[in-house]
Amino acid sequence: MTLEHRAFMYSGPEDFLAVTVPFLESGLESGQAVVAVAREPNLTALRDTFAGHGTAIEYFDSAAFYRHPVRTLRDYQAIVKRSEPRSVCALAEPVWGRWDERQTLEWIRYESLINVVFAGSGARALCPYDTATLPDDVLAEARRTHPLLLTDGRDLINGRYVDPAVFGAGCDRAWRAGRPEGAEYLPIDGADLHALRSFVAERAAEHGLGRQPAQNLVTAVNEVAANALQHGVPPRGLWTWRDGDDLLCEVGDNGFWRPGPFTGFIPPDSALQQGFGLWTVRLLVDLVELKAGWDGTFVRLHTRR
Amino acid sequence: METLWSVRRPVRDLRPGDHAWLAYSGEDEQRHIAGAFVRDGLLAHDKVVYLTGSARDAVPGLTPDLPAHLLTVLAAEPPGGERLDPRAAAAMLAAELTRARRAGFRAVRLAADLTWALGGAGGLDPLLDLERRLDRAVAPSTSVTALCQVDRRRGRPADLAAMRAAHAVHATPDPEFEDSVLCVVRTFQPAGLALSGELDASRHAILDQALAAASAATAGDVHLDLAGLGFIDLGAINILADAAARHAGRGRIVLDRIPAQLRAVLETVGWHMLPGLSLSGPNLT
Repeated sequence: MTLEHRAFMYSGPEDFLAVTVPFLESGLESGQAVVAVAREPNLTALRDTFAGHGTAIEYFDSAAFYRHPVRTLRDYQAIVKRSEPRSVCALAEPVWGRWDERQTLEWIRYESLINVVFAGSGARALCPYDTATLPDDVLAEARRTHPLLLTDGRDLINGRYVDPAVFGAGCDRAWRAGRPEGAEYLPIDGADLHALRSFVAERAAEHGLGRQPAQNLVTAVNEVAANALQHGVPPRGLWTWRDGDDLLCEVGDNGFWRPGPFTGFIPPDSALQQGFGLWTVRLLVDLVELKAGWDGTFVRLHTRR
Repeated sequence: METLWSVRRPVRDLRPGDHAWLAYSGEDEQRHIAGAFVRDGLLAHDKVVYLTGSARDAVPGLTPDLPAHLLTVLAAEPPGGERLDPRAAAAMLAAELTRARRAGFRAVRLAADLTWALGGAGGLDPLLDLERRLDRAVAPSTSVTALCQVDRRRGRPADLAAMRAAHAVHATPDPEFEDSVLCVVRTFQPAGLALSGELDASRHAILDQALAAASAATAGDVHLDLAGLGFIDLGAINILADAAARHAGRGRIVLDRIPAQLRAVLETVGWHMLPGLSLSGPNLT
């Protein structure tokens, strides 16, 4: 069953309801599991409209649902799984105003990844974009990440849609310039990663991370370092530095394992599947960047205090 | 001799002068702990004196091709339900210790299963009297190590507590594995393992082995006591999930007393990623 992933541009609440209400009704009529994830006041307007349907629709506030792209993918996947054998009909309105430039890019990438993660799910997703408030580049990128565009009540095949692998590879090229001069370095040269964990825990505490984000970061760096030990080529090492509120940890080795544009983004079916490790690393920190080049493979983890 | 403090010591680390206590909850646990005490003594060619109710009782930890002079089994239960005579029982043991010393034994291990005496005539007093006599004989000794055991299922809680308080050392199982980073110990009530220290890639094979053994030995749920665990890597979580899949059909793998920060890592992953694993018990913060 193929995914239908549609964007539609709206202006004002009436416009919003005129499209989303028939969409959700069609989901109910065809027996799909229906979820509505929307920003306020749209969410309240939908609840009011569907007040007579009881609990047939599951509602989420976008402000809580869209906090971290990989966790949001995980949560949608959990909804898809628990709804089986029914397919899912989702109104999915992301949040755009909260992010800096790099985070915005990651959320745009997230929209592109939806096409891959849920390709065979039979889900129907409708993503509303508010033309009155969203910046032009977000609207333009929506046309590159949604295969279908709903315009004037009609589905159009979107000619500007970009294949997600191509799109993701483009995002990976957004890797920013090298580490600062003052970055600290710890070689990774033995199988015992205890010293590495202590090193990261100390930097996390100095940076003012809470206990849980610090534990998550230690777990993530440990995993990336273990991968470098298992699959990489020496010399291997860890760099850490601060960039404003971000603590950065970068593990590099001299190998070339060529991560793909989907590496670590696709939720595994269970912890037993390959890919569980890097997927979890992406869940545990705020942002993961991968770079494979002539000088080696690098995994950069961002954690914000 | 009653002590408010006590040390917990793996049975392999018991030493002369120790008068240790074990309340076991089943034959498995008795075999694992008291059996190790007897077996290690026999393998070291020390004298082992085993005191029990009746000569028909099984002695745990017997080794094949056992030279007869290494082991003496003493049956101490008075016939016809008479009251335990602590003086006579202590004298019988003292005579054995003297015989062993004369025979040139470097060390003597005294193992006593006192379950039979728990419900005996006269109540707990004669038993506590025997314990005091034992303590006087063992505590100053440089050659005698003693391990007193009872089946806790057969004693009243107050009696068990009194008996327990009469021993300064409490015997614990020998770790399945122990180094400076990780310690793995079998548990019996509930059945499973206690893991402490840090679990990373360098200890995955050990974890895998210990889980396989615990799974094979356990008919229902396998409990993992994680209270002492400071770190678990994603590979080890994967191994737990794998063990849960292999144990499915017989029971779950239950994570007890998991530290809050490790629990949060598992919750980030999501329980739907970890079929067969579940949480129980109070969580430490």
